[in-house]
Amino acid sequence: MSEMANTDPEGLDGVRMSWNVWPRTKVEASKCVIPLAASFSPIRPNPDIITLPYAPLRCKTCSAVLNPFSRVDFAAKIWICPFCYQRNHFPPHYSMISETNLPGELYAQYTTVQYSLFQNPNPNPNLTPTLPPVFLFMLDTCMIEEEMGFVKSALKRAIGLLPENALVGFVSFGTQVQVHELGFSDMSKVYVFRGNKEISKEQVLEQLGLGISARRTGGPGYQKGLPNGFPNSGVTRFLLPAGDCEYTLNALLDELQTDQWPVPPGSRASRCTGVALSVATGLLGACSTGTGARIIALVGGPCTEGPGTIVSKDLSDPVRSHKDLDKDAAPYFKKAVKFYENLANQLVSQGHVLDLFASALDQVGVAEMKVAVEKTGGLVVLAESFGHSVFKDSFKRVFEEGEQSLGLCFNGTLEINCSKDIKIQGIVGPCTSLEKKGPAVADTVIGEGGTTAWKMCGLDKSTCLTVFFDLSSSDRSNAPGTVNPMLYLQFLTSYQNPEGQLMLRVTTISRAWIDSAVSSEELVQGFDQETAAVVMARLTSLKMETEEGFDATRWLDRSLIRLCSKFGDYRKDDPASFTLNPSFSLFPQFMFNLRRSQFVQVFNNSPDETAYFRMLLNRENITNAAVMIQPSLISYSFNSLPAPALLDVASIAADRILLLDSYFSVVIFHGMQIAQWRNAGYHNQPEHRAFAQLLQAPNDDVQMIIRERFPVPRLVVCDQHGSQARFLLAKLNPSATYNNAHEMAAGSDVIFTDDVSLQVFFEHLQRLAVQS
Amino acid sequence: IDSKALPRPLEGDVEPKLFAEMYPMNCDPRYLRLTTSAIPNSQSLAARWHLPLGAIVCPLAEAPDGEEVPVVNFASTGIIRCRRCRTYVNPFVTFTDSGRKWRCSLCTLLNDVPGEYFSHLDATGRRLDLDQRPELTKGSVEFVAPTEYMMRPPMPPVYFFLIDVSISAVRSGMIEVVAQTIRSCLDELPGFPRTQIGFATFDSAIHFYNMKSSLTQPQMMVVSDLDDIFVPLPDDLLVNLSESRSVVETFLDSLPSMFQDNMNVESAFGPALKAAFMVMSQLGGKLLIFQNTLPSLGVGRLKLRGDDLRVYGTDKEHMLRLPEDPFYKQMAAELTKNQISVNAYAFSEKYTDIASLGALAKYTGGQVYYYPSFQSATHGEKLRHELSRDLTRETAWEAVMRIRCGKGVRFTSYHGNFMLRSTDLMALPAVDCDKAYAAQLSLEDTLLTTQTVYFQVALLYTASCGERRIRVHTAAAPVVADLGEMYRQADSGAIVSLLSRLAIEKTLSHKLEDARNSLQLRIIKALKEYRNLYAVQHRLGGRMIYPESLKFLPLYGLAICRSKPLRGGYADAPLDERCSAGYTMMSLPVKKLLKLLYPRLVRLDEYILKASTQADIKDLEKTLPLAAENLDARGLYLYDDGFRFILWFGRALSPDVAMNLLGADFAAELSKVNLYEHDNEMSRKLMRILKKFRDSDHSYYQLCHLIRQGEQPRESYLFLSYLLEDQIGGANG
Ligand SMILES: [Zn+2]
Ligand SMILES: [Zn+2]
Repeated sequence: MSEMANTDPEGLDGVRMSWNVWPRTKVEASKCVIPLAASFSPIRPNPDIITLPYAPLRCKTCSAVLNPFSRVDFAAKIWICPFCYQRNHFPPHYSMISETNLPGELYAQYTTVQYSLFQNPNPNPNLTPTLPPVFLFMLDTCMIEEEMGFVKSALKRAIGLLPENALVGFVSFGTQVQVHELGFSDMSKVYVFRGNKEISKEQVLEQLGLGISARRTGGPGYQKGLPNGFPNSGVTRFLLPAGDCEYTLNALLDELQTDQWPVPPGSRASRCTGVALSVATGLLGACSTGTGARIIALVGGPCTEGPGTIVSKDLSDPVRSHKDLDKDAAPYFKKAVKFYENLANQLVSQGHVLDLFASALDQVGVAEMKVAVEKTGGLVVLAESFGHSVFKDSFKRVFEEGEQSLGLCFNGTLEINCSKDIKIQGIVGPCTSLEKKGPAVADTVIGEGGTTAWKMCGLDKSTCLTVFFDLSSSDRSNAPGTVNPMLYLQFLTSYQNPEGQLMLRVTTISRAWIDSAVSSEELVQGFDQETAAVVMARLTSLKMETEEGFDATRWLDRSLIRLCSKFGDYRKDDPASFTLNPSFSLFPQFMFNLRRSQFVQVFNNSPDETAYFRMLLNRENITNAAVMIQPSLISYSFNSLPAPALLDVASIAADRILLLDSYFSVVIFHGMQIAQWRNAGYHNQPEHRAFAQLLQAPNDDVQMIIRERFPVPRLVVCDQHGSQARFLLAKLNPSATYNNAHEMAAGSDVIFTDDVSLQVFFEHLQRLAVQS
Repeated sequence: IDSKALPRPLEGDVEPKLFAEMYPMNCDPRYLRLTTSAIPNSQSLAARWHLPLGAIVCPLAEAPDGEEVPVVNFASTGIIRCRRCRTYVNPFVTFTDSGRKWRCSLCTLLNDVPGEYFSHLDATGRRLDLDQRPELTKGSVEFVAPTEYMMRPPMPPVYFFLIDVSISAVRSGMIEVVAQTIRSCLDELPGFPRTQIGFATFDSAIHFYNMKSSLTQPQMMVVSDLDDIFVPLPDDLLVNLSESRSVVETFLDSLPSMFQDNMNVESAFGPALKAAFMVMSQLGGKLLIFQNTLPSLGVGRLKLRGDDLRVYGTDKEHMLRLPEDPFYKQMAAELTKNQISVNAYAFSEKYTDIASLGALAKYTGGQVYYYPSFQSATHGEKLRHELSRDLTRETAWEAVMRIRCGKGVRFTSYHGNFMLRSTDLMALPAVDCDKAYAAQLSLEDTLLTTQTVYFQVALLYTASCGERRIRVHTAAAPVVADLGEMYRQADSGAIVSLLSRLAIEKTLSHKLEDARNSLQLRIIKALKEYRNLYAVQHRLGGRMIYPESLKFLPLYGLAICRSKPLRGGYADAPLDERCSAGYTMMSLPVKKLLKLLYPRLVRLDEYILKASTQADIKDLEKTLPLAAENLDARGLYLYDDGFRFILWFGRALSPDVAMNLLGADFAAELSKVNLYEHDNEMSRKLMRILKKFRDSDHSYYQLCHLIRQGEQPRESYLFLSYLLEDQIGGANG
């Protein structure tokens, strides 16, 4: 795995596919067990991608963009669309092209190019007024003073990091919602909304004095003149350039109190997260279309008031668990999800993003709010406390610029063109279907489907989507002569970059068709087992969420057995004869770990955690997602370089340090001996410099991981036999359990579990795969 | 009737002496006045009297120094009251059985004297400790109430201000005057250090202010959900003044500028009122409303029903003088229930439906202040004084008042600004010295057998200092069988007070004309009865005769008919002014009312021109009859009805006077001129006179209007039509 991390498996295009060679027919495809899917990072940066300062040429029939796979007749100045074979004339400004004078988009190596588009005909970007991004902070005030202190200082730091021209708004909420009018200079001023009543966008605008009647009656919101190009100038009372309101905001935060409404003993605080989100969304609704705006919600507990409530105020009612959800014993869940779904739709229609920063020991309703975060392409961070580095450092990352920047972009739209007979079932990941119908829309839907275009209100450098394909069920063997041996997929992503510029990225890829009924050899070579594992994880998660009574373990097992039956080499009914091609050999272990992972074994976590894990699983690239499923383990010891270790309890040794990266947490585990030496302070003695270096090495590696990762992982430093060691042990293959503890070597460890070990799992698999 | 032939009350109100002389232990008439101190002994006699039988009570009337009501604390003894009729022990009870029993003066029940209250009696049956017992020697005492007189801990004084900040309010300058005045009164609000204060402002939304003491500046909280109004904070909207003093001051300092650019024309008055109610409902207190724009949004919005000429003279005429929306009366009931008293200050230059707004004050024991077309440059001083008075006068909180009387008589109706909680219990969320209440009396039995009837007014209230008290006024009156005696003992001040209230009430269910007619008819009937009584012996033929005690009654009757609430028709007074005057007159103490009905007219030019600075100011007390014929074109006159001054410049007045008094403005149009002191003796003298007149009564501030003789139509409208004895168009006296 670690070698892999050094290469760039996604290449220029940011595309990885479960199958890189496709079977010809729907029937053959279904025999492949693992779906035809592409994982795609729409705006992943790559220094080799060129930016073209003009608009793309589009096919007049299917509107695919001119690309290196187009056949060009230089003499006739004609290009043939690889998707629909339409012949298109080049426009006059392309008259100079020739084999030796190609425009960038026709270079064979530029399968991905970027076009920078202007919002108005003025070609000078310096004169183009770009809409500044909007950051609307939404702060929960139902928390203890200490937490309030943490979150306030995090906010102050964030505001200090914002670009001067970014527009900032502030909403606080508890029992009620308070919209702070930052532009009011005489004193601190808030608009207050009831927390227990559903409120429409129109009502929000009306009550903020931004509605129609305010303009008619010269109400409080109405000011003459239209500064900043907002159609409704009143909104600038609430959204101010960061440079202008930093002082106001800091003073406001200094005086901001925790929610003042009394909480009776035995009760939860009354917290109207749902209405607060409605109000924040409504306020952003006053911004002109195309404004890149995000609600940054900082939530410290569950919604207990008004729409979106996830639990009653009575503390003796616990927040719903997976068991409750399973038994349909979570009375608030469905209603809340419905509410957040509607909110998501409103945000998407406005093109705005919801980021959720939840910090609490108990659940806050991430499971219910997931839909709004995911559909708008928002960020999500779940931490135990606003004082914890998982929140603090992640939050800071959001606002940092330069190398560390997340590269937050807005108003993304993805369109996919594909060769005839390829159908799109849908996308799993942070986006919303735009319901754009067309011949490429499949009958079956996976995730956001029924469309060839998707909205991504928010997207960033690491955003990743998984597209599920299907093949046309029509039998094409009737006309083999006309068949093109290659298939094409084109991804068109338009978005507004952090500087406010409109960009269009075009990625066109080509893969081979293969008649797998004749030979599966090429098919096997085109299998990307890491991508396949992640696709299976994403599909499993989706099915668990959407299919009632879905048995994930059983489904994964059966899929794996079917896959091994089809692609393994064996003699029927002879398990010992079973071998797997190297293209498949790692896959069973992935499945073994997936079965044990938080994505499948949800009962070990809360629904909030599960939702959180799944959101990140769906939006991270394949390499990162694979680590979530199957953590990486590196061993550090004297006399050898750090080396990958087997994810097995047998890797534990007294004189080793292990570094486990399971994506959400990173564990540094000191063997017994190492811990003793460290406790004795050897590393401080000059003669033990090597020990000091050994102690330091995993820390350096961890810092590297932390620097690159968002959200920042939770770091656990522990010693063998210490209580925190469970964070490591939970992820290891239980090759040694208390059932076979007597076989253990001294200094190793035992895992107390009934889980089957990888070895047992594999034995079962071999037996079942070869069964006739 | 020829009004010029009538005796004129140029001395103003004269308190009845007989009342006190007959029964020296009676409370002072400033607290309680009966329309006649001779109670008829039969229903038939009462019927022949024709005038109302009743009382005017001003329970907290200001007493001159040295005559304050003594405070009695019975402490552990408990308050001594009659077991049966709950009368408080008073100078008219008698002790028997060697001091072990006392007989109730009202119901004659024999009560036990509690051990701790026991005192031996002397030979005449008087208690030996009488000189230490003010409750047994004084008609007015105040008992400190023990906890059983409390429904809850005594409330602190609470002042909540609800201020209109719509564009018209901003432009009038009202907000600035109000903010400055409140700020200047902060040290004098009663009840330090318990006093609580709060503010809300409104236009199309309601703005609350968080005044938490730990804040460096107040926080404005806007609520715009007018259909479902709510409070944005559990506390800190009403704060302890001494703790949050600096936040309150910061707020008042910034209030005028905060809204100076406000373009909002709407008024969400109803929702704002509900909001204020929610903030205050836990404690109660005084709610001061400053209203500039007709309520246009949310509950309680009012129509520009205006002052429709065509409605006058029809059956619907009185509807104009009643609240348009039941919301106002319902709110008033809720407010009273929660011990909230409303004082409504209205400022609009347009119709603002005082009839509706005033209902809030009427039923909560409050007051209406109306400043039509308020402009701070002109009316600022009046508002400043009246608001200061409202804020700083001693106030009794969460009060109830009951008037008890002896067997055989009964109070049957009550008239004034309050809400009746049961048949005879007046709920008064706040009371002060400027409020008087009237009640009518009737005989329960056809014949009274007792010689004397006793009356006892008991006001249970919380003093600003936080003490719960009962103020008790007791008086006795003889029972008579002779109508003549009733006339001799009549108190025309009390009668006029009661009659004017009855007449104003009648305008709320009848045409103005009917109200005037029935009042006049009543006076004529009474005078006829008197004439019948004496015509034979005096052989007076067709001439009108009056009992000495009622000699001013005909003229006052005329004055009531020509007062703002009753005068003329459509054109004779704007509807809002009519209604406002009606609400005001319903609560005025006798003396103020009489002055309003028959104002003072004095000539000033001679005094001002006299060289001597020590000129005998007594000359000025020579009040002139209110007739235009008394106005000398060479003179300068001052008209004072207790609410306003009119300074009338005769056409032939020496220009020197005008120049001295008005400075550079002397030739300007006087409606635009404000009077202020100039650096000359004449001007100083005039200002001294005005001050002296104002000092005689601080309950209202007389704004000085300047009129030049012949300046029409202003002269008629403002002044001449108020000269009672003249017959001028429309005012069919
Ligand atoms: Zn095409
Ligand atoms: Zn009695």
